[in-house]
Amino acid sequence: MRFLRPHTWAEALGAKAEFPDALPLMGGTDVMVDVNFGRARPNALLDLTAIPELRTWAPDGDALRVGAGVTYARLVSELADRLPALAAASRTVGSPQIRNRGTAGGNLGSASPAGDAHPPLLAGGAEVELESVRGARRVAVEEFFAGPKRSVLEPDELIAGFRARPATGPQYFAKVGTRNAMVIAVCSFALALRPGEGVGTGIGSAGPTPLRAYAAEEFLAGELADRWEKRDALPGPVIGEFAELVAGAARPIDDVRGTADYRAHVLRVLARRTLTWAWADHCEGGAGCA
Amino acid sequence: MTTDIERVTGTALDRVEGRDKVTGLARYAYEYPADDIAYVVPVPAAIARGTITGIDPGDALAVPGVLTVLSFRNAPPLAGNDPELRIFSSDRVSYRGQMVAAVVADTLEAAAEAARLVHVGYDAEPHDVLLRPDHPEAYVPEKVNPSFPAVSEQGDVEAALGDAAVTVDTTYTTPAYHNNAMEPHATLAVWSGDRLTAYDSNQGSSTARDMLAAAFGLEPGQVRVVSPHVGGGFGSKGTPRPQIVLAALAARAVGRPAKVALTRQHMFAVTGYRTPSIQRVRLGADASGRMTALAHEVEEQTSTLKEFAEQTAVPSRMMYAAPNRLTTHRVVALDVATPSWMRAPGECPGMYALESAMDELAVACGLDPIELRVRNEPEEDPESGLPWSSRNVVACLREGAAWFGWAGRDPAPGVRRDGRWLVGTGVAASTYPARRRPSEATARATADGRFTVRIAAADIGTGSRTALTQIAADALGVPPERVDVRIGDSALPTASLAGGSMGTASWGSAVAMACVRLRERLDGAGGEVPEDGIEARYDTADDIKADAAYARHAFGAQFAEVRVDPGTGEIRVPRLLGVFAAGRIINAKTARSQFIGGMTMGLAMALLEESVPDAEFGGFLNHDLAQYHVPANADVANIDARWIEEDDPHLNPMGSKGIGEIGIVGTAAAIGNAVHHATGVRFRDLPIRPDRVLDRAPQIGGRNL
Ligand SMILES: Cc1cc2nc3c(=O)[nH]c(=O)nc-3n(C[C@H](O)[C@H](O)[C@H](O)COP(=O)(O)OP(=O)(O)OC[C@H]3O[C@@H](n4cnc5c(N)ncnc54)[C@H](O)[C@@H]3O)c2cc1C
Repeated sequence: MRFLRPHTWAEALGAKAEFPDALPLMGGTDVMVDVNFGRARPNALLDLTAIPELRTWAPDGDALRVGAGVTYARLVSELADRLPALAAASRTVGSPQIRNRGTAGGNLGSASPAGDAHPPLLAGGAEVELESVRGARRVAVEEFFAGPKRSVLEPDELIAGFRARPATGPQYFAKVGTRNAMVIAVCSFALALRPGEGVGTGIGSAGPTPLRAYAAEEFLAGELADRWEKRDALPGPVIGEFAELVAGAARPIDDVRGTADYRAHVLRVLARRTLTWAWADHCEGGAGCA
Repeated sequence: MTTDIERVTGTALDRVEGRDKVTGLARYAYEYPADDIAYVVPVPAAIARGTITGIDPGDALAVPGVLTVLSFRNAPPLAGNDPELRIFSSDRVSYRGQMVAAVVADTLEAAAEAARLVHVGYDAEPHDVLLRPDHPEAYVPEKVNPSFPAVSEQGDVEAALGDAAVTVDTTYTTPAYHNNAMEPHATLAVWSGDRLTAYDSNQGSSTARDMLAAAFGLEPGQVRVVSPHVGGGFGSKGTPRPQIVLAALAARAVGRPAKVALTRQHMFAVTGYRTPSIQRVRLGADASGRMTALAHEVEEQTSTLKEFAEQTAVPSRMMYAAPNRLTTHRVVALDVATPSWMRAPGECPGMYALESAMDELAVACGLDPIELRVRNEPEEDPESGLPWSSRNVVACLREGAAWFGWAGRDPAPGVRRDGRWLVGTGVAASTYPARRRPSEATARATADGRFTVRIAAADIGTGSRTALTQIAADALGVPPERVDVRIGDSALPTASLAGGSMGTASWGSAVAMACVRLRERLDGAGGEVPEDGIEARYDTADDIKADAAYARHAFGAQFAEVRVDPGTGEIRVPRLLGVFAAGRIINAKTARSQFIGGMTMGLAMALLEESVPDAEFGGFLNHDLAQYHVPANADVANIDARWIEEDDPHLNPMGSKGIGEIGIVGTAAAIGNAVHHATGVRFRDLPIRPDRVLDRAPQIGGRNL
């Protein structure tokens, strides 16, 4: 097996162009498990950990640009104010050891429907930055996933990072698993309110890819359009309809972790809860909440 | 002897090897060095039942560094009476994952790579790996583990149930469970001529030695098994496992020391597990809650290779008074690995069912569940008629109730809410037999004022080395710092294994008596230690034969508080309390760890653990720790264990009962009973998973959230 360890981003792109079947390695928390279990038998490993650019994040215009190699631990400690749902999701990932190694870039690379970073990135309207020696492109997160553990990443491309606008309103992430930590989500949901603008959603572990609940977003945006300013209580039927539309967007299956029926039901519950919490925050954030 | 005040037994002495363990100095089986080690990787069977039609080792042998590929084609026949250990003895496959071949190579990497390239051809036959009610092949075994009759009958249960004012008739199921010790099963085998040394992870080096000698047709004296530190066993290392024979076989085949460590995934196939169970419990009582009938009928699985029948209904033979009683076991031999011991075999699953049914009976009688148990206290062992050596289950229930804050509990189910959570509490009793087995020990005084105690005992993480140090120190009347306890080596005086919660009772008896003998000798020598030391030896075989006839059991009570989220079906356990009457507690610190460790496993049994059989391909679906969920720290909140003073003169020189297993017994029932109290719904199939809770959500009102 070949082991490639570029020290600059340009070298990394060059290496990926030369060895398109090289498997990128960041935190290794997915890659090394696959190698140890014999599920991945790469001819070459492309170690990206020596590339400083991947470890940085910075504001870029009205967005934040976060390098693919920023760990969950740093997303929690450095970006919880600007990307609260992503930070909340990061807190639920694995254990401290996994959060110290694992990255959102690696989560995208694996493209698992259960990846915890995905629902917040979907809800936050993030874009993934892909690059190869042929050039760079940006892809909306919902366009990035192509199927279970598949993405639109070309063989010669690498994930440079992602871009997302800092939160302008409340964001929530909720996850159900069969134990309290170290657990793959049975199902998860993220919600971002963008006061005056709209709503973002992300569903995890309830379909072949992470999903957005478009109809739910559109419905809620309509309902909230003249409520952002009023900050009055949301009628029960609005919350209920939103929850129904979220559950309706899912395409869950039965597996060892849970049944399709259970997932659809729990999504409804998580959608209700996150909307209730987020709207309460929004009301508290302004004057005169009902 | 020293006075009570100076005694070191009972204190919370730190583990004597604690520093070695946390600094990495303590050496485990796989870490032993040897020159020129060869590495062994087994090849697991890909089918659940059938015949091997061919083994093509060509590609494997072509991998650089590969020395040989072992299989039934070339491996020498093994003797011994455990078919799970006679590896490579035939072309039959009895379960998925069974070892069908193994690669021996210069490096672990080469062996692992080559193991993938051993091409095994199979003639697969239809298999059956699912235990189900009324299986047509189910039969009543001759005995259940270790040697209880499979059926017991007293009076006329059917008539008594017919006449009873109140009856409960319910069926509970438990899934298969895997022991999952932290340290995988591992062995380094070294031959020197016809003498064999195995550095091995096991629960008893004397037992492992005898078995290894039998397998290779050697005298026990030709074999030495070394296991000073063992990273957990929970029963799965009580009977030796195939890796120890494989290491010895491979070492002999290549003429070099050979090392094997099973992977976590392979552990799920070849290191034993607890059988799933289907348990029907019928209770009959008069209007005041006094039981007139108790029937406990169990169905479980065994393998086609050898019979192992867990003694699941056995606790129902002694736990409560009831003049009419029936307990039965039926097993079905499936195309699965042989189930085996897992923490508290028998008592753990059996008491789950019995103690859940007792809660149902309490509700049916309108009685507090503690009061119901008090009313059914047997004066003597109901089956044998023997007197109890001591029985303090009522004290555990009463004192536990006070500590837990049970008084004034509203029995109405499904009515307490805290925000979105439904809250409830539950109780269950627990028990575990207090036995001891013959062991030998030596105690030696040396001129430097130190004492060395030798016994082939095992410390599998329980703290037994420390407990034995305390026992020896008290018997010798010296501080523990002056005592060295040598264990974990079959070259030491023969000892029983760490199992059945009888390790400390068995070994401690021999150690205490050897130390008493040594003191006598020292006194005889005028208190002077001769230049070349002085030694005494003790074998407890005769003492144990002469033990008076008593029913000896430890008892306990488990209390749980649960919170159920009716929206998602998630269950949390904010509080868990166990109260135990287990004779004299020898080390307050390690005993507490044993109790709360057992209770944590009981919590896992209630809510998390479950080995899911793979109906299509055989074996288990969730064969790794990402999918087989043992609890994380975040699952265990406020957990506490306490014990009551118990002075039982009928046990052993220490007055102790075993504590390793009783913690798991009863815990799952206490949690299940609390879930009923919280939700008003009985969940009779473990684990109580969120999706199972939600399936019953209409009854809880959760669907409307
Ligand atoms: C014990 C344990 C617990 C876990 N718990 C969770 C959990 O709770 N939630 C969760 O979502 N995940 C969990 N995971 C999975 C894993 O930690 C995450 O998916 C993590 O985000 C992977 O990041 P990484 O940096 O370690 O990626 P790596 O393992 O290094 O890579 C993952 C994949 O992405 C590719 N890749 C990495 N970087 C790039 C790049 N720059 N460009 C292109 N491709 C790239 C790799 O080739 C590989 O296919 C857990 C894993 C373990 C071992």
